[in-house]
Amino acid sequence: MSNPGPTIYIVDDDLSVCRALSLLLKLHGFKPQTFTRSADFLACSHPKVPSCLVLDIRLPDINGLALQDAMAERKLIIPIIFITGHGDIPMSVKAMKAGAVDFLPKPFTEKKLLNAVTAAILKSKAQNREQAEISKIKRRVKTLSPRELEVFRLVAKGMLSKQIARKRGTSLQTIKVHRGRVMQKMQAKTVTELIRFAQKCGITPPER
Amino acid sequence: MKITKKKRTKKPLLRNKIRNGERVRLEGVVKQQAAELKEKNGQLRNGARKQLRSEEQIHIRTKAMESAVDGIFIIDVKKPDFPVIYANQSFQKMTGYAKNEILGRGYFLSYGADADPHIIEEIKHAIHQGKFFYREMLSFQKNGKKYLNLLRVTPVRDTRGGVTHYVGIQTDVTLMREKELEIDEQREELLHVTRVGKLAEFVSSLAHEISQPLTAILSYSQAAQRILLDREPELQKILSYIISDDQRAAEVIQRLRSLLKKSAPEMRLLDINALINETIVIISTDATVRNAVVKTEFDANLPLVRGDRIQLQQVILNLISNSFDAMENSQGEREILIRASRKDSGRIVVEVKDSGCGIPAKNIPKLFTHFFTSKADGLGMGLSISRSIIEAHGGQLDVENNPERGATFYFTIPVDKNDA
Repeated sequence: MSNPGPTIYIVDDDLSVCRALSLLLKLHGFKPQTFTRSADFLACSHPKVPSCLVLDIRLPDINGLALQDAMAERKLIIPIIFITGHGDIPMSVKAMKAGAVDFLPKPFTEKKLLNAVTAAILKSKAQNREQAEISKIKRRVKTLSPRELEVFRLVAKGMLSKQIARKRGTSLQTIKVHRGRVMQKMQAKTVTELIRFAQKCGITPPER
Repeated sequence: MKITKKKRTKKPLLRNKIRNGERVRLEGVVKQQAAELKEKNGQLRNGARKQLRSEEQIHIRTKAMESAVDGIFIIDVKKPDFPVIYANQSFQKMTGYAKNEILGRGYFLSYGADADPHIIEEIKHAIHQGKFFYREMLSFQKNGKKYLNLLRVTPVRDTRGGVTHYVGIQTDVTLMREKELEIDEQREELLHVTRVGKLAEFVSSLAHEISQPLTAILSYSQAAQRILLDREPELQKILSYIISDDQRAAEVIQRLRSLLKKSAPEMRLLDINALINETIVIISTDATVRNAVVKTEFDANLPLVRGDRIQLQQVILNLISNSFDAMENSQGEREILIRASRKDSGRIVVEVKDSGCGIPAKNIPKLFTHFFTSKADGLGMGLSISRSIIEAHGGQLDVENNPERGATFYFTIPVDKNDA
């Protein structure tokens, strides 16, 4: 409980596999949590700490690949390492294409597992940083007035102030004021940075 | 005969004097004889009619023999080389010899010079003993072309019971046998693929089952190594042995698996109705033996599907043969109905409906899993393989019990995009 290391979720219907992997990962300073059913894993809370999922492909309730899809749907972003006792090459290709970090055929050595877990945690950290940045940008976007948001979108699309003014039927001066306020509220030092922010939080539809 | 009877009745009249009293009696006699004569006359007329009718019958019989698709011939077995005295048109066509090349000549010449002399000896032997003979043999036409000749010859006896002739029928079964051979080959290929598929699936399942404990053992051992770290060198050594043996076992599984690697499916455009019909031909003997009827109901103009012919046949064959098994102890009519129809714009559904014992509700969830079987000699692989084949084709395989009796297995399969 007091283990401060990254969380490793393990989902495998074989209790003994869960127990053994959990023991090994604990010894390496990770914080393992085991599940024998996909649904239990989906139901538990997933704090935003560096974490990864060691997932068996064939599970009795929701199979590994379907769980991968379900997680994507719920925007549950946790790097996945697939493990399998079947020599399923087509499945592994599918899994890797859908963004899995690694695919380990059972049985695998401690070294292979640690390499995969280490890579997954690095990815998780990067993803968390990214997520944090995105939510920071989204928070800033929320402070914009509807007019400013409109200008932000048009600037992000690459339009010049002059073009925006013509399109909106307002003076160039007004647009420049809005634009200055957008830069300030979004804490963007350059237009390039502003465009990057826009890409990160997605091209926002006007009503949001 | 008519005349002699008349004479016999008239002579006594001339010889004797006619007396009163006698006269009355004689008149009676005459009347009676006249009646007899009339009757005789009628009989004669009848006889003539009968003869006409039998001539007609002979004509019909001859015509019929000429029209028969089988080769029909009669040979005279009183003569040493068994000359042919009659051969119908089909016989001439089959052997390639004209009528004048056949009639009066030894029958065995019609087999061609390359025909097996042992078989000819056998036939001669049968004829000498006056026995029926039946045999399929390779024969040769006049131009040398060979054909499979299904020959049957039967003795013909004269009024005294002696065998004087033989009548024979021969049928060219070349095409029939070729077709049968083709079906046999297809069935053999399918069975082989099914056997290999079963074995591969079996090994794959077994590999999975074994790899679970191997994973646990490996991880436990490596965890123990880590806990001991620099202590207990003896135990460390033992742990390293356990680890290397665990990996050895894993390699054995790996080798076994690569040995039975499933061949990649050959995806082609297929007409599902034609595919089902081909499969039914393959199991038609089985159906006859099991006293079952296989019926079909196909939607016309179904779009093509993309799939592996053999794999899909394997699924259909598996479903049909399961249906046969389900109807094994069926009292009523044993009928399988195979339907192919359009499910929606993108899918075709194929149903295999039987009138068997149905599936107990408790078995349905386990039906498609490995090693589940309700048959004494079953492996429990058929349906699980079938389902994985259908899923690999992008479809679904499922089952429902019928409201009346029996069950219906059905699978969907996506239609080819270019043909939708």
